[in-house]
Amino acid sequence: MNAINAIVPSLSWSFATIGIYWVSKQIYRRRRRIWLMPIAITPLILIVLILCLHETYQGYIGGAGWLVGLLAPATIAFAAPLYERRAIIRKQWPILLAGMIVGSLTAISTSYGLAWLLGIEPAVRLSLAPRSLSTPFAMAVSDAIGGIPSLTAFFVLVTGFTGTFLGDAMMSWLPLRSALARGAALGMSAHAAGTAKAYELGFEEGTIAGLVMILSGLLNVAVASLLRMSSGQF
Amino acid sequence: MTAVANRSQRPLSIDLRPAMLVARRRIRQSRIAQICLILALWWASAGVVRLLPLPMPSGMLGLALALILLATRRISLFTLRRGTEWFVGDMMLFFVPAVVSILDHPEFIGRPGLELLAVIVLSTLAVMIMTALTVEVIYLWRLRLERN
Repeated sequence: MNAINAIVPSLSWSFATIGIYWVSKQIYRRRRRIWLMPIAITPLILIVLILCLHETYQGYIGGAGWLVGLLAPATIAFAAPLYERRAIIRKQWPILLAGMIVGSLTAISTSYGLAWLLGIEPAVRLSLAPRSLSTPFAMAVSDAIGGIPSLTAFFVLVTGFTGTFLGDAMMSWLPLRSALARGAALGMSAHAAGTAKAYELGFEEGTIAGLVMILSGLLNVAVASLLRMSSGQF
Repeated sequence: MTAVANRSQRPLSIDLRPAMLVARRRIRQSRIAQICLILALWWASAGVVRLLPLPMPSGMLGLALALILLATRRISLFTLRRGTEWFVGDMMLFFVPAVVSILDHPEFIGRPGLELLAVIVLSTLAVMIMTALTVEVIYLWRLRLERN
């Protein structure tokens, strides 16, 4: 009886998460409004549901937490777009690497620095640092440097919305002549959301943005892992 | 040629090879099989990361493994694409539970939340401008070098 009591809520939270996501995806497919995006509306409905049912976050994550574990195999799936674009990597790697290094340093220093100026506590500051990366990479970096990975996931989401709102205005304001710069800027600053914006500008911009999103994620995870190893926390 | 010759010699035997080829292609094209292949790669790399003191998440090792398999042509993009599209396309589902964790941070309601939003907006703007300018400057510099 105890086993059933434990299994039922865990299963129902998993089903609720997948079900709400699936339904909101179908709705978003028909009505493309930014506030109807599955990634915004699904957590919102779930939070309301959890509060109404007087459930705790611990109870919820105990049931549906395994879904977050699937971000690791999703990282493996980045191999296909990366391999498809190997010709671009071979040709443009110095310029993209320069953009990614400057972009990553800017992301880390400005989010950490501004948070420090505002007196935000250290763990939250560290969780902010990798927020411009794609979620699986950002959570891995956050874990390596002592942040709170799930909080980082939330900041990544807010970053995506910010990038979507600012992307168009910035791209028409900045005097950029190369598709390379437009794509790199959007992919570096706002991961998948920026990449979607870049595809609206053109195929080349989108391809570059997707590439920069994956490569910058890999670069940051590699550096963060090495830092953790050298600091002996491993 | 040999297949045709064999068939003419033994008219009663059924040649299974075309059926086998179709079956193999079906399996390769099926999304479920491709998802299982990716999960197998993950499982293998997670095992390696647990056994060896490698300073990297299992997803990274799996990604490296998949790239090596693709580069050495042990697997083709064709046997991976539908599976990877599913994982990347529905990746948002996997971080929904992490986003719900904001429920555990009621301290962000009000002013602290607005401060965090300001940090994110300003930082995103800075990243966009710095990355764009870096790439653009190098691009223009390279263009001038090519012209001269």
